[in-house]
Amino acid sequence: MEMNKGVFVLAFFITLFLLILMLLIGSVMNNKRYTYINTQFEEIYNNFNEMQTFFLMAETFGDEMACIAFEKRLSDMDKSIWTLGLKIDQYRIATEEFLKDEYYLKQKTIFNENQLFYLTLLKRLNERCEYEQGEILFFYKNSADCKRCDDQSYVLTSINNKYDEQLAIFSFDMDLNISTVSLLAEYYNVTEFPCLVIQDKKFCGMKSEEHILAQVCDLNKRISFCS
Amino acid sequence: MNISYNILVYSVWFMSTYFLVFLLLILFLKRKELFKEKAMPKVIPLVSIIVPAYNEEESIAETIDSLKKVNYEKLEIVVVNDGSKDNTSSIVKKAIAKDPRFTFLDNKNNKGKAACLNQGIKVAKGEFIGCMDADSVIEKDILIKTVPYFQDKKMGAVTVSVEAYKPKRFLDKIIDLEFTLGLSLFLKAFSFLNSVFVTPGPFSIYRKKVLLEIKGFDKDNITEDFEIAFKIHRAGHKIGNCMAAKVFTLVPPSFKQLYVQRRRWYTGSVQTIIKHRDMMLKPKYGAFGFWIPFNYSLIFTGLGLFVYAFYLGFSKLLENINSLRYTNFNIWERLMQWSPDILTFARVNMMATTIFVASIILMFAGLKFARKKYSEKKLGMLGYPFIFILYQIFWIGSIFALLKGGKVKWR
Repeated sequence: MEMNKGVFVLAFFITLFLLILMLLIGSVMNNKRYTYINTQFEEIYNNFNEMQTFFLMAETFGDEMACIAFEKRLSDMDKSIWTLGLKIDQYRIATEEFLKDEYYLKQKTIFNENQLFYLTLLKRLNERCEYEQGEILFFYKNSADCKRCDDQSYVLTSINNKYDEQLAIFSFDMDLNISTVSLLAEYYNVTEFPCLVIQDKKFCGMKSEEHILAQVCDLNKRISFCS
Repeated sequence: MNISYNILVYSVWFMSTYFLVFLLLILFLKRKELFKEKAMPKVIPLVSIIVPAYNEEESIAETIDSLKKVNYEKLEIVVVNDGSKDNTSSIVKKAIAKDPRFTFLDNKNNKGKAACLNQGIKVAKGEFIGCMDADSVIEKDILIKTVPYFQDKKMGAVTVSVEAYKPKRFLDKIIDLEFTLGLSLFLKAFSFLNSVFVTPGPFSIYRKKVLLEIKGFDKDNITEDFEIAFKIHRAGHKIGNCMAAKVFTLVPPSFKQLYVQRRRWYTGSVQTIIKHRDMMLKPKYGAFGFWIPFNYSLIFTGLGLFVYAFYLGFSKLLENINSLRYTNFNIWERLMQWSPDILTFARVNMMATTIFVASIILMFAGLKFARKKYSEKKLGMLGYPFIFILYQIFWIGSIFALLKGGKVKWR
């Protein structure tokens, strides 16, 4: 009537097999996450290169041609940069190893540096081409040190989804200690978090969607949704 | 995710998957033996059935009626009134009148179920003793199907399939399915390992010699049907299960009473394990000594994970509500922002999903092995996968009761 001990062993090996399968699927998903982020970065690099070309063209051939070409690229860029920032954070949460991963830290650093590059370029082209695009800089720290940073990020995502074409939002992770980002924070005298810089004016502490949009419109009346 | 949470998830996943795989393997390998019937011995032995009753005026008549229909020629029935305050005594007297097979012990004071069972054992003349709850009804062939199991001289007790009696409400149907699987099919699977850990109160049959050897039921234990299983194993006897024989039992009429019943079961089981802790992981007690600590380790780590996951989920919910505050609680917009992405699905979530899927597979396979039609159990099947959440809540209540140190009453 009693079962053979083999059943205990067989059940153990089947469970072990399932566990290994689970770990393998996890690894495949990790690789897919890396691939996604790498592909997105490649796309953004291409766009940066293109933007630099536009900038040089504007210098060489005059503003008109470069500004027309640049305007279209601008809206695509805003969206992909913000989405990539969100994806990096979502994938970091999904992959428990991700937080300590060199890969994540490296990509996040590159991402922040690139945003700074894009911001500089955008400022110069905005001036040159007289675009009506607003800009918001978001300085944040990890949720343990900054309780409201996640809330602020959610509010900015909501704004980005609604006014993607009229607003460019840049997020800067202050935990990464990137020298150029720290310099920017110092320039705006950012000492507490979360902190927003809207059209070069600093607003620290948690801000609601209503408040941010009111400030954007107050500081840049040319933006279409403000009229 | 912190490391302690991950360790909990991996431990619970491994133990529960092992448990589910193991059960499915046994059921598959022994599928032909699940309902195999055994032949009656040449000399028909006398069987006594003891029915302790306390305030059972609503159900005792049907219980006695089902006992009268039992098609076993050498039968005596001992009904023990446990000092009921209602009309149980008069109903019993009327129901058993002129039936010489019945003996009625009408106690004036309440002594508790275990004491009444021991009182019945003393007067019972049968070689085998069936113990039956007064809120249950049995099928007429229950003895013809169970007595043959005692031809194995080491068999100390035999349990039967337990099902809910006329389940009507949604919760009744879930409990019915829980009984069909947990108190019937899984006990059958455990019987192949000689690891049956409970002889369910609605109906179980014992060898009288074994009951006398282990000095009957422990009157101080609130789960005497659980505790006696430990004593039978300790004395070196086996507990079998006959899936073909059935008992139908009333399920608690309200959620509160279900909670009280489960709190008694869970508290009593922990007290029993503490009492018999010397049996754990001892090779002398075979698989029984392994499965009990395994099951309870799984229960407690699962409970820890449930509390931890609830805390994390609740914190996340509060965070989300808080962040909604800054966008004028525009929930619809938030839902619209959500874009499904399989890559945001963490490994721990994947593991929880596989356990959920595996328990659904076990439910479907279990019903097939138990020869039940899905259409009969469809409502119960809808709720069964979620009953584990209810178990956790009952367990939390039981742990509080244990820590408080107060005496958990039988009812």
